[in-house]
Parts: sequence; structure tokens; C-alpha cells
Amino acid sequence: MGKKGISRRQFIKLAGAGSVVAAEALGGWSIPRGVFAATPAVKGPIKIGYQAVLSGTLAGYGEFHRMGAQLAVEEINQKGGIAGQKVEMEFRDSTLKPDDAIKNARYFVDSWGADFLGGIDSSGQALALAPVMEKLDRVLMVTHAATEKLNEEMVFQKGIRQIFRISTPTYQDGNAAAFVAKDLPATKWATVSPKYEYGFTCWKMFQDALTKLKPGVSFVGESWAPFGTTDFRSHINTILDAKPDGLYSTEWAGELISFVRQAKEAGLFEKIKHVLFPVGAATDVLEGLGKEMPDNIWISGRYFFLYPNNKTNNEFVARFRKRWNHYPAYVSETAYSTMYAFKAAVEKAGSKETKPVIQALEGMAMDFPAGHRVFRKEDHQAIYDVPWGKTKADNRFPFKVMGEQKLIPASACFNRPPFTGPGTHPPF
Amino acid sequence: MQSVVHICLAGLSAGMFIWLVASGLTLIFGVLGVLNFAHGSFYMLGAYTCYTVLKYAAPDFWLGLLLGPLLVCLVGVALERFFLRSVYRLELPYQLLLTFAFVLIFDNLVKIVWGAGSLTPPDTGFLAGSVLILDRKFPAYNLFIIGVGPLVALGLWLMLEKTWWGRIIRAASSDREMAASIGVRVPALYTAVFAFGIWLGALGGGLAVPYVGLMTPGMGETIIIEAFIVAVIGGLGSLKGAFLAALVLGVLSAFGVRYFPAFDMFLTFILMATVLLWRPQGLFGAAR
Repeated sequence: MGKKGISRRQFIKLAGAGSVVAAEALGGWSIPRGVFAATPAVKGPIKIGYQAVLSGTLAGYGEFHRMGAQLAVEEINQKGGIAGQKVEMEFRDSTLKPDDAIKNARYFVDSWGADFLGGIDSSGQALALAPVMEKLDRVLMVTHAATEKLNEEMVFQKGIRQIFRISTPTYQDGNAAAFVAKDLPATKWATVSPKYEYGFTCWKMFQDALTKLKPGVSFVGESWAPFGTTDFRSHINTILDAKPDGLYSTEWAGELISFVRQAKEAGLFEKIKHVLFPVGAATDVLEGLGKEMPDNIWISGRYFFLYPNNKTNNEFVARFRKRWNHYPAYVSETAYSTMYAFKAAVEKAGSKETKPVIQALEGMAMDFPAGHRVFRKEDHQAIYDVPWGKTKADNRFPFKVMGEQKLIPASACFNRPPFTGPGTHPPF
Repeated sequence: MQSVVHICLAGLSAGMFIWLVASGLTLIFGVLGVLNFAHGSFYMLGAYTCYTVLKYAAPDFWLGLLLGPLLVCLVGVALERFFLRSVYRLELPYQLLLTFAFVLIFDNLVKIVWGAGSLTPPDTGFLAGSVLILDRKFPAYNLFIIGVGPLVALGLWLMLEKTWWGRIIRAASSDREMAASIGVRVPALYTAVFAFGIWLGALGGGLAVPYVGLMTPGMGETIIIEAFIVAVIGGLGSLKGAFLAALVLGVLSAFGVRYFPAFDMFLTFILMATVLLWRPQGLFGAAR
């Protein structure tokens, strides 16, 4: 200080800076280290921004997402992280409004520096977010929102390559349901469904598929309940007036719980014997209803903790229960698997940059607790099977589970690219 | 015919339920001149405390209804005494800001104490069955709500018109200074009325436990809008108006869902707009 020439401090700073520059410049010739000898080092930490609904009547879902995501991050970091780098996750309330989802995404990428994003419960939000993700140029792994417009229009037609989805889309709720329904004696179907994109698209898909599978069915009634409906009685009345013999409902979470209780009070399940709840196999719904859930209702979801009955899944369920004292919801599995999917993709690509990760994810096949998933190259949709089952009591659990099961393979009920024209919609 | 009767019943029970929540809101505005934005939160707190009593003390419907709202009432007293008192003299926006702040605080408090997920209350067995009306089942509990609504209305009317205390409340609400000058302890009265209004709101929450069957942290948000609409249409501060408005709105909405499903909330807002255009002060509101 105050001396002429370079002080020792300045020299060390210069030397340090110089060597870093040299190391970067010589990156291509750097000496391979450790386990990742084949790949150049990925700069850490790996930052994953996750958003799900934490407020309002559907708040429980966000918590279930978080439990799955956090478990995965803890496990991955314990075993050395992704490509040797620590994983950091920030979790935010997506609410159900598209504007909030976009705000969060911008915050994650621009302010926080996220490398990847995950989450999203609402179909409306997913569609609004897709073009934004293209501009932000980060991969978003959708873990819940189900509209098929996301993969068919946004990814396939519009070419927004940054979107991937690890959970089953509406094909499971609409098409697969029709395959279950075709074997049931019901010929007059009605619906009480949520009044937004997801509700509309599922009912339409169900109608289209069932008409092809079982000509002669008719659709006699529909009633649409907006988000936040707590009193379904008027809707139930509308349906009872139409006198259907089959009921289809994509109500989900707390609203499905309210609907089932109120329908039971109104004697609906005595008048309508064949009921399909595409997302009724959700842990929160089954736990919330307990023995109030009627028997012999066909339920499904994006994952059911008792399927598949193999080592990977059973151990995951056990670890989840140990960590959170809860059975995993389907969003817990999709959130958990998302972290592992990112890990596999980054390590395969040797980079956390968006373009190589997209290439690594396309066509990637991997085993997860939910089973074997393949990320379809054309539309970035994960292909895997989830069963439908009839509710029945099981003394191992304080809630109803799937009894008699019916597996409609994804290959039979998922729409196929190019999504328009013959041979793209089931039955094939 | 069966359809029409059941729609009316559904509408009546929904309407009476909204009335129960709106009654406290109307009372507080009528006497204190305070627009309590946090009323929905007290409704929610009432439901949650009732749930806690049912779960941890005993699944007795009347016990829950007795203790739950009382506990929330205490919170209301503290709120009025330490926070609301300072904003009486200020303009409406300050009151709204303060009560809105409490909405946010209570929302998150509920999430911290009871968790963010939805909770199913234990079965109390009270009026759990259904009644067969014209060959379709209608829950007995809803009939109970249809009965409780007018009962509360009658009780409030009797209290305000026929009792000594009611006279004092009416005096203080029409002219605060005059009432104070003849010896009425107005601040204490305000606290008492606020507490009573909150108690009514929390009672609504307690009654909601078997009616809605599900507790979620967002449950205050939807009900407060409906309660406000009813209070505004009826005339802010008029209990008679709120009762009538709730009745009309409940039945109208039920018919709307059945016969004009595309219109949904539109019918409610059209009604509000029509009434306000015709009588800006609401059906029975005092012309200002």
C-alpha cells in the first residue's frame, strides 16, 4: 500500500485471475477427474425452480409436490449431486393463475438464475407459460397440468422444444376412461366437471373416444363447476334430472372430496351405478374421504402408490413415508422423478445448457417409481402406464384403494403424432 | 316438479348460509361504519377452531359450535381494541387496508397452524342422514340450515327492536356523539358489537363444517365475496335487506346453474348492478 510496483496482494490476485482464464481457455484439454472423467465439468450448483399451487382450496397439492421434490433433492445431494454438483431447489406458490406462473418463471430464470424449472398444476397456466419458456430458453418439466394441447400444439406444432411433461396427460383421463367405460353396461353418460380447459378437453376426449368404441351411447347431461365451488348441490340436481346411468367427473382434489360427499347425501350413487373419476386415485382425495368414498367407483390418476408392485416403487413409497409420514401423492412421484430425470439428462449431455439437455431428454428411457417412462421425441410427452381400478376397502390402509384393476396401456390410448389425420387418435 | 322443488331447497340452504355469514358483516357496518374485509377470515377461523374442538375434544356438534366461535370472538375483541379503534376516525381506505392486512395474516396463520392441505372434519353424526323429498334425497343438515337462517334473523330483530341493549346500539349507530353525551360508553359498545358480529361470522364457519365438509385455507375468500354482494344488494347496514338479498340470490343462483349454466356468476352480478342502478343505496339501505 503506497508502494510503487506490484504488491504481493496484487500479484496473487493477478496470478489467480490468470490461472482461471487459462483453465477456461484450456477447458478442452483439462485433465479428467473422478467419476465424470468422460465429461467436462458442469458448473454448479444446479438450480431448479419449482412452482405448484400452495394457496386456496387446492393448496394441499403444492405440499405434496414439495415433499416429492425435496426428497429427491436430498437423496441426490447425499449421493454427490448432479454431475458432482450440488442441487439447489427453490419452491414457489404458482397459485392457479397464468399470470402468477409467468411471474414466477421470470423470477426463477432472470433473478434467481435457475437452470431448470418444474411443476405447474393448471392446464391454463401450462399453455400460457409455454411461449414464455421458449423466450427464457430453459427446460420446464410439467408435473401435473394435463391438457394435451401442451404437447400436441405447443411442442409438436409450434416447436416449443423447452417443454417436457413427465405426468400423464388428458389421454389417461379422457381416452383411457372411454376404454374402461366401453365394457360397462351404462349407455347414458353425464358429467360434473371443472369449468376450465382441463374439464372441457377431457369430457370432449371421453365423448369422442367412447362414441367410436361403443356406438349407441348418448351423453345426456353436463354441469360445469368453476374453481372454488364448495356447493355442488345444484350441479348434482342438474345431473340427476338428466337421469344418466353413468357419471364421469374430472373434479379433483378438495373439490372432488366435497362433490363425493354431497353426491352421497343426495343419493346419487344409488341412482347412478357406473362412475368414473379419472383423478380420483389421488392420495389426498382417498385419505380425505376415507370410508366415505363409495365402493366400486372406477378411479385413476397419474400414479398410484401400489402400482407397479416392484422394488423401485415399493422402496420409494417406504422412503417417502419415512421422510414425510405420508403416502406419496401422484404429484409427489412426478416431482421426485423430475429431479432424477434432470440428473440423468445433465449427466448424459455432460452439460446443463438447455439445448444439450433437450437432446438428452428426447427419447430418454428410464425407470422411475411409476414405472418405465420414455420421453417421446416428437412431443416431449413421457409415455408410461397407469392402471384404472375399482375402489374397495383394504384393512392395510385407512382409506379405499384400487381393487379390481384394468390397465389400458399408453400405447393404446395416447394420441400419436402428427395428432391430426387418420391413425392419430385411439382406437388404433 | 321434483326438480323445481329440489332446486328451491338447494337455493334456500345456500342462501340462508350466505345470510348467516353476511349478518355479522352487516351488523358491523351498520353500527360501527366499518367495512370488515377480514370477515371471511373470521368465518374461516370459526370453521378451523370448530374443527379443532371436534377433533381433539369431542366430535360433538353443539360443543364445537359453542366453543369455536367463542374463541374466535376473543381474537375479534383483541383486533378491535388494539387495531380498529385507531382507524374509526380515518377514511374508509384505511379501514380497508387494515382489514385486508388481517386477511393476509390470518390466511397464512391458518396455513402455519393447520397446514396448507385440505382437512376433513370428524363425523359428528348430527343430522347426518338425508330426507326423501319427492323421491330424491335432500340432506337433513341443509334443512337445518334453512331453519337456522330465519331463526337468527328473528333473534337479531328481536334483540335490536325489543331489548334495552338493542335500543342503545341503535342510538349509538345513528348518532355517536349524542349517545356518548347521554352516558353511553360508546367505545365499549363498539367492541361488544364488533365481537358479536365476528361471533356471527365464526358461527357461520362452525355451521359450515358439516355443510361444506372440507376445510381449506382458501375457504374465506369465496364466501366473503358472496357475503359482500348480499350485504350491498340488501343495503349496507340493513339486516332485513341482507336477509332478503341472500334469499333471492340463493334461489336465483340455483336456478341459474340448472337452466342458464353459461351465465354462472353473471346472474349474481346482473342482479347487483340492476338493484344498484335502481336504488344506489341497496334495497333497504339508508339514502345517504
